[in-house]
Amino acid sequence: MANLALRKLVQTYDKVTVLHGIDLEIGDGEFVVLVGPSGCGKSTTLRLIAGLEEATSGDIEIGGRVVNHLEPKERDIAMVFQNYAIYPHMTVRRNIGFGLRSSTLSRPEKDARIEEVAKILDMQDLLARKPSQLSGGQRQRVAIGRAMVRDPAVFLFDEPLSNLDAQLRTQMRLEIKKLHQRVGTTIVFVTHDQVEAMTMADRIVIMKDGVIQQVGTPAEVYHAPANTFVATFIGAPSMNMLPAVGTDEGIRLASGQEVALERGPGAGRGVTLGVRPDDLHEGKGVPILGGTVAVREPLGPETLIYVDVDGSEVIAKADGRVPPEVGARVELCARPEDLHVFDATTGEAI
Amino acid sequence: MYRNLSIRQKQIVWAWAFLAVPVLFYSVIRFYPTGNAILISFQDWNLLGKRTWTGWENYIKLVNDPVFWKVFKNTFVYLILGTPISLVISFVIAYHLDKLRFMHGFLRMLYFLPFMTSAVAMAWVWRWFYQPVPIGLFNNLLASVGIPQIAFLNSTTNALPSVLAPAVWAGLGFQIIIFMAGLRAIPRSYYEAARIDGVSNWTVLWEITIPLLRSTIVFIVVFSSIGFLRIFDHVFNMTTNNPGGPLNATKPLVLMIYESAFTNYDMGYAAAQTVVLFLILLAVSLLQLYLLRDSK
Repeated sequence: MANLALRKLVQTYDKVTVLHGIDLEIGDGEFVVLVGPSGCGKSTTLRLIAGLEEATSGDIEIGGRVVNHLEPKERDIAMVFQNYAIYPHMTVRRNIGFGLRSSTLSRPEKDARIEEVAKILDMQDLLARKPSQLSGGQRQRVAIGRAMVRDPAVFLFDEPLSNLDAQLRTQMRLEIKKLHQRVGTTIVFVTHDQVEAMTMADRIVIMKDGVIQQVGTPAEVYHAPANTFVATFIGAPSMNMLPAVGTDEGIRLASGQEVALERGPGAGRGVTLGVRPDDLHEGKGVPILGGTVAVREPLGPETLIYVDVDGSEVIAKADGRVPPEVGARVELCARPEDLHVFDATTGEAI
Repeated sequence: MYRNLSIRQKQIVWAWAFLAVPVLFYSVIRFYPTGNAILISFQDWNLLGKRTWTGWENYIKLVNDPVFWKVFKNTFVYLILGTPISLVISFVIAYHLDKLRFMHGFLRMLYFLPFMTSAVAMAWVWRWFYQPVPIGLFNNLLASVGIPQIAFLNSTTNALPSVLAPAVWAGLGFQIIIFMAGLRAIPRSYYEAARIDGVSNWTVLWEITIPLLRSTIVFIVVFSSIGFLRIFDHVFNMTTNNPGGPLNATKPLVLMIYESAFTNYDMGYAAAQTVVLFLILLAVSLLQLYLLRDSK
């Protein structure tokens, strides 16, 4: 087990810079998820930590030791790949044991380790099988087993759940989280799925275009997004973004609706008001806007309503049993603490 | 009438419409001559005269013919030397070429070029290489460093390997391309996972790359074995003065068939040899498929 630090990490391929100085401290035993759209540099960051690629500049520290020029095997890490990278011609036992090929343990010690890992992952009776005889979730477990058997200081996961179907993904998500609670090893997990990030992480690192946008607990990034990118990326459906102007008391929306705020952006400043569909309802709180219901999406416990407001569309939540009719006029309100104000030009939270 | 057929029947009609041409082609160009050859192997025929039934006589003659046994042995020497040598060389080249970025396309083209070259032209160029001083390239090189001359094509021991070398070389390009395609099909993450596990390159080669190339290797082994068992043009063109010589040292089965048929006009005897060759090809191919079958 070890902490992990990235300092001013820059990666450039043929004059294209994909990482612009990544600084990140990960504590011992922490579960950190790197999340962002494709091309944001999250996988590159992981590959740099693993040592599969060498950084153009910057330092990587694992357990207080700078590992920039060390081979992957010397870094005391293990990695689980998106396509599992388990060998189709080897049995599960040999696949898991492959992680121990270079270790100095004796034969019986290695066997004991393999058995132990198989027990933790509940697949003792699968050891003699070939990967082709396993289901997707079982293959995933073999890949995790191969990483675990080496007892590394840091686990790296590169989108390990994206090849699984939705139900299995939810299940494996839980299993990995449980595993982390049991073994307590530091984990860096890469995904493009914000739900995975929210549900699993101790801390989330949101990246875009090779720059970290925000680092925080799931609650922090959800309730206090640092900028419009984080605000729209985290949470589904996406946060509504409404153009507005600062006034003496608060802000004025494009529709002319005035919204009083405790800490206003200052008169005349161009801003964006962000409000999550979950926080936007009929009735309670500060009135934000009114419009006609264009489409309804019943989800069971609640109904998403797409409200047409002066030509733009806003998503809000309505009651699951008696939602407003399509074409009906609704007045939408939100609590003041659920309103997010961003600068219109920089996108930064105010 | 066509209108009243069910969808399934219409599909069958169309399938047969397209299959008719290859079926006809195979019947006329492949199956009929094959059957005919088997028939002729039990007859006596000089190509122009009447065919007369002789039963097993051609086969008995074959078994008692010392030249046939010499040729039989030569054919297997071509196979046993040629297949593994070309397999190893082409794998080594493909393995390294796959890792190379610089001039990759150009080098691949260089290796593929001999495969596209006519065997006749190639055989004659190699024949020139093998000539004694002052003509031959190899002997000139040897002479310049003071090593005695080697009688490449005129020695009964050296001639077969000398003929085999250009045949191996000619087939390399094709095998390299197939190997490279096989190497490309192995996911990169397999190698990355192995790097993280810290195993040696040697282990990666033997435990990951080669086992995953199994189907590629089966294909190349079967394909090149059939090629070496049917070797003819290289031998014929490199030993034209005395085809298959010296003293039948390089003569393969196909060349013996050719001579029996078109030098001696003994069609029945030639046909009996083709039947034997066919059985050998069949047995070798089945044996290889069995030995290299997927263990899954």
